[in-house]
Amino acid sequence: MQREEKQLEATLHAILNRVNDLKTAIQALITKLETEYETINWPSFLDNYAILSGHLTGLSKILQAELAPSLRSVVVLPLQLGCERDEELSRLTEGRVPACTHDLVPDLLRTKLEPQAEQRLQQLIHKASTLNYDTAQKQVAQFTKVISHVWEIISKGREDWEGESMRSAGMQPTHSIADTHALVTAVGTGKGLRPGMPPCVPSGVVPPGIGPSRGPTPQMGTAAPNMPKAPSAIKTNIKAANQIHPYQR
Amino acid sequence: MSAINVAPITATDSLSQALKANIIPNQEYLLQGSVLDSAVEVLLHRLRGLCDNVDAGPETFDDQEVCFSLRDPNQQAAPLMLRVRKALDARDMPYQLRYIGQPDLGDKNRPTVVRSSLDIACSGMLIEFLNELGCRIEFEYSVKGYMFRKGRMKITVAKVFKISQSSMPPEPISQSYLVELSVLAPQGQDAIGEDMRAFADQLRPLVQLDKIDYKRLGHMAVT
Repeated sequence: MQREEKQLEATLHAILNRVNDLKTAIQALITKLETEYETINWPSFLDNYAILSGHLTGLSKILQAELAPSLRSVVVLPLQLGCERDEELSRLTEGRVPACTHDLVPDLLRTKLEPQAEQRLQQLIHKASTLNYDTAQKQVAQFTKVISHVWEIISKGREDWEGESMRSAGMQPTHSIADTHALVTAVGTGKGLRPGMPPCVPSGVVPPGIGPSRGPTPQMGTAAPNMPKAPSAIKTNIKAANQIHPYQR
Repeated sequence: MSAINVAPITATDSLSQALKANIIPNQEYLLQGSVLDSAVEVLLHRLRGLCDNVDAGPETFDDQEVCFSLRDPNQQAAPLMLRVRKALDARDMPYQLRYIGQPDLGDKNRPTVVRSSLDIACSGMLIEFLNELGCRIEFEYSVKGYMFRKGRMKITVAKVFKISQSSMPPEPISQSYLVELSVLAPQGQDAIGEDMRAFADQLRPLVQLDKIDYKRLGHMAVT
């Protein structure tokens, strides 16, 4: 019995702390709205909301813990309602609740939803239960389509912004995969190094090994992107490697 | 007195002891990449910061490498490839004869290329000797660049030149420098591969050091 009481007390204490944090956060948000309503911007407003939601999550975590069942069996009953001002109560609530009147108490000690909210919820539950399967599927599909459309718009926007910032930073690729392949094959197998071969030209073209290229005199290895005199029978497959973006994020 | 009866230690004894103890560095762990000429200065600065400190600045080297092949006229097996490297900037240094084996392609998860590699220092008579053995020159090139060390790892940033037959100066075969990260280690020390991969990641995105299978690339490009 005593252990349960102690547990209850500890839980209540924790809940009280969380609720106090929540209260402070709401107060801060209200102050912010009242004083900075001309200069406030959406992200900072959302930050405040995030703080609130963090507090609420903490509170719900405590309530979900094993001690919650013991709270279910505990009921708060107003023993006496009065119209006159109660100093003790107003001190406890920082002046917000001056008296335990009959119009405040139902709202403060409420455990079910508000009547209006409850009615709306009932309506929605009724509507959902009378919906048949096909219409429900169609509605879900439409919803998914709309969401994915919005997602595409947002990601395109983000790409454009980030692309612009990257381009403005002027980052150029500092290595070429085609060159890597060309160099490694040259060092490993002697491609392009055998006597009589045309020299290796970078960016997308690897010189042929043997055969039809014997004949044309070696040309100076300029930065020409194509090999002008190569016979057309020679295919170069390294072009595929060029499509790999140098920055693989 | 007992020293007289003890047989002298022969070379085969010490060799077999070394083989048993697995201390002969006969495996090369390798990662390769390249960097464009325009960005090589940045890479050198970064390597100077990352690698072991050398007082006189990065070590340069200028080597000529000739690749020989020894074919067996009867068999159609792949020829044996041997590489001879000589230093063009330090004529007194011995020639290096190197055998490089096939890379061990079995494990896709291995972070680096692993191939067997045997290096021997020889005198200048090496080329004649190989010719007498029946080796033919396959190809040759020269590399000139910088070498850095970090612990056991060796990083080279070098430009590969094609040696022209006439007296013209060697011309580069590409607008890039070849970057190689290699470690020579005895068999079985695979943990070094992880260290190499970690170091290679520090050079991104300037250089992308990777396992590159040049045999496969060689086959791809020829029709």
